[in-house]
Amino acid sequence: MFNQSFLERMNISTIRNQVLKNSYGNSDTLIAKMDPRTMFIWYFVFGIVPWFVSDTLMLMGLFIFVAAVTKIAKTVPLILFIFVVGIFSQTGFLFMFTLLFGGSLSAVMPLLKLTLKIAVVSLAAIVAFAGMDPDKLSNGLMAIGLPEKFSFSVSYAYRILPILMEEYQSILLSYKIRGVRPDSDGFKGKWRNLIYQIKIMIKAFYPLMLNMAKRSRTTVEALEIKGFQRALKNKKIRDMKMKKLSIQMQDILFLTCSLLYFGMCLAVPQLLY
Amino acid sequence: MIELRNVSFSYPDTGEKILDNLSVIIPPGSFVAVVGDNGAGKSTFCKLLNGIIPNFLDGDLQGEIRIWDQAISEKTPAELAHTIGYVYQDFENQLIRPRVLDDASYGLLNEGEERYEEITMEILRTLDLAHVSDEYVWQLSGGQKHLLALAGVLVMSPKIIVLDEPIAQLDPTHARKIYDNLAFLNQKLGKTIVVIEHNSEYISRYCDQVLFMKNRQIEWLLPVKEAFQQVLQLIEGGVYPPQITLLGHGLSEKGYDSSGDLPISIDEGIGYINRRFDMSRSRQIPSDLKRNQAKGKSIVEMKEVSLSYKKIDQGAYSALNNLNLTLHAGERIALIGNNGAGKSSMLKMLIGLLKPDSGQIVLDGQNTKKMKMERISDKVGYVYQNPENMFIEDSIEKDIAFSLKARGIKNYKNITEQLLQQFNLMDIRQRDGRLLSGGQMRRASLAIGVSLNPKVLLLDEPTASLDMATRKRITHTLKEVADTVETIVIATHDMQLVAEWANRVIVLHDGQVIGDGSREEIFADEKLLQRAGIVAPEIVQLSQRLNGRICYSIQEFLDYLEKEAVLFV
Repeated sequence: MFNQSFLERMNISTIRNQVLKNSYGNSDTLIAKMDPRTMFIWYFVFGIVPWFVSDTLMLMGLFIFVAAVTKIAKTVPLILFIFVVGIFSQTGFLFMFTLLFGGSLSAVMPLLKLTLKIAVVSLAAIVAFAGMDPDKLSNGLMAIGLPEKFSFSVSYAYRILPILMEEYQSILLSYKIRGVRPDSDGFKGKWRNLIYQIKIMIKAFYPLMLNMAKRSRTTVEALEIKGFQRALKNKKIRDMKMKKLSIQMQDILFLTCSLLYFGMCLAVPQLLY
Repeated sequence: MIELRNVSFSYPDTGEKILDNLSVIIPPGSFVAVVGDNGAGKSTFCKLLNGIIPNFLDGDLQGEIRIWDQAISEKTPAELAHTIGYVYQDFENQLIRPRVLDDASYGLLNEGEERYEEITMEILRTLDLAHVSDEYVWQLSGGQKHLLALAGVLVMSPKIIVLDEPIAQLDPTHARKIYDNLAFLNQKLGKTIVVIEHNSEYISRYCDQVLFMKNRQIEWLLPVKEAFQQVLQLIEGGVYPPQITLLGHGLSEKGYDSSGDLPISIDEGIGYINRRFDMSRSRQIPSDLKRNQAKGKSIVEMKEVSLSYKKIDQGAYSALNNLNLTLHAGERIALIGNNGAGKSSMLKMLIGLLKPDSGQIVLDGQNTKKMKMERISDKVGYVYQNPENMFIEDSIEKDIAFSLKARGIKNYKNITEQLLQQFNLMDIRQRDGRLLSGGQMRRASLAIGVSLNPKVLLLDEPTASLDMATRKRITHTLKEVADTVETIVIATHDMQLVAEWANRVIVLHDGQVIGDGSREEIFADEKLLQRAGIVAPEIVQLSQRLNGRICYSIQEFLDYLEKEAVLFV
């Protein structure tokens, strides 16, 4: 039964709601209020440095901190679910392979360490990027010197995300109404059903792409009319767009606390050994 | 002032003329309706004005276009945005920023205007959007999105505003609001307005000039009153003048009128009829208020059904509220009510796409709760509001065959063939549905909807954004389909369709049924119409105001006048 009810709950509209809620619905959390540049620095510390750390205790400390921040950022369950599946399938497979090719249980510790490492950097990325208002993210990218075409495409991607998903959903519904799902009795039936669902989700991309292409024609013309191309060459407009960003007291506090904790994680193992 | 001199446009590869030798002068401050059938070149003409052609669509452009005495050929669309603004038919795709204020101000910001937010807020206040300035675009209603697209155009303070079918998807209340806004811009701010519009009742009420296009050429530009006198010419070009005008035309054809001065509004129509017929002495026939008592067997029963949606912010939105309805065989049901009344939700629930929170739906004797989607769709056909969503294959032939094939029906080829013939799709059977014209798309989607020979057929806005000629053809097709399907339910704003087609009308308002009866009962109840935001077709209003007996089509009223009315001698 898990299979059926789970599939039913994981429909596109749930996914859509969760993704949108994550990026747009959390604007009142502490993390969402940060300046994007603060989060970039924060990500640099918690998303990149852990790769070079091999002390389990320290990784443990970092993990607890990042997990707490994830909680503060109110990350939606769907993304956490994908995160968990991703982590454990990754290291789970590695462990199986190790055993298969003559490894022993002694592989568990290093693998655990690797899992922890990946967990810390993935959560850091989720907190820093998935939870940030797309507009802020795009302005932030511009502020650190990325080309404006790139930052615009980030914010535009979020603009069309709801449209894209709505379109995808209605195409899937067309398949649902007009197609016939295989019986889902027994394990074999459930398996066939799953294959069928996946097949349709892939097939639906064809009409999706065509419908979106048709829509984007208007969008491209509108961009042209609104002077998007011309503004790219104008430095003054770029500065105007950036005016809205400002580093405030809370940014400094958040960064200081994070760095202090980071330093503590670094120091404590040293003192212990 | 807009001035075109011998303007032609053709695509470079085929050399096919998309616009053929256009010459016209549109005076400043006018409110022009561009009319013509789908494919007459209306949108292409409008895209000439804002520089999308030839800057964006490559092709060979000849002739001269001048706006306010400036040749526009060297200007880019962005430069022209200060002169002319364009609101697309698919305006939702014109919104490119996630938030309302950002989107409306985007054009100004790209200009480097320092006060872009101030100016934009001013415009948003004018259009009553200020309270949502911080919202995300996709949280707005359809009407608000249209206003936002308009705001994004207005911030550039253009002298001319072009709108492509601004009210195609709207109920009369919202449609009036849009046009009232345009009238305000036209009269108070002196903007020149150009609309592509199929609805001649709105044209006669709001516009002052009509530009008639046919076969990619401009036939003429005339003041509205004069324009609608050209009844035969317009009909031949796929354009239907107001019903009142057609009535006058019908009378003049029968020899009752030789003045050549046809009425174009209800008030004019009343004077027009009263001058020719003595309505006070005409025989009064009491309206038949009783509904057809002979009901067929019940096909669908909704018992205390409620339905709500979850919103992103986790609040619930109640779409249907404790609904009790029984639909019978032989009924042609029109489901009417304003945008957001719950029409689409009800249709989606009947096909099983949405599950009711409480209550039950019995379909042909079976509780749908226990039915699988496939079994429901064996009995219920559904045609989306947006026909493009119906096409999942790369040709309409495959699309029609899809459900049949999926159900393993052996002679699916024959059935498909039959349907292609019935809906006049033989010539285009290999084409991709998305690339068809509006009318063809509708016909194809209807064919898909009835392919499984359903007992119930649900149609969401089957005549939206079609020109009047195509609309008539679809209405005709719907009458034919009614012979093979037991019950048809149409959710629609098209009151002419309701008047000419339906034998039962259900009025929804805020998720509840506030009216249910025959056309007679519904259209005679003015309070009900007002509450539901519905406006009866002109011919219904006219006949009602003249003698209390309601006629539903022009022909019916003509017959009545001929048979029963006393002519002034």
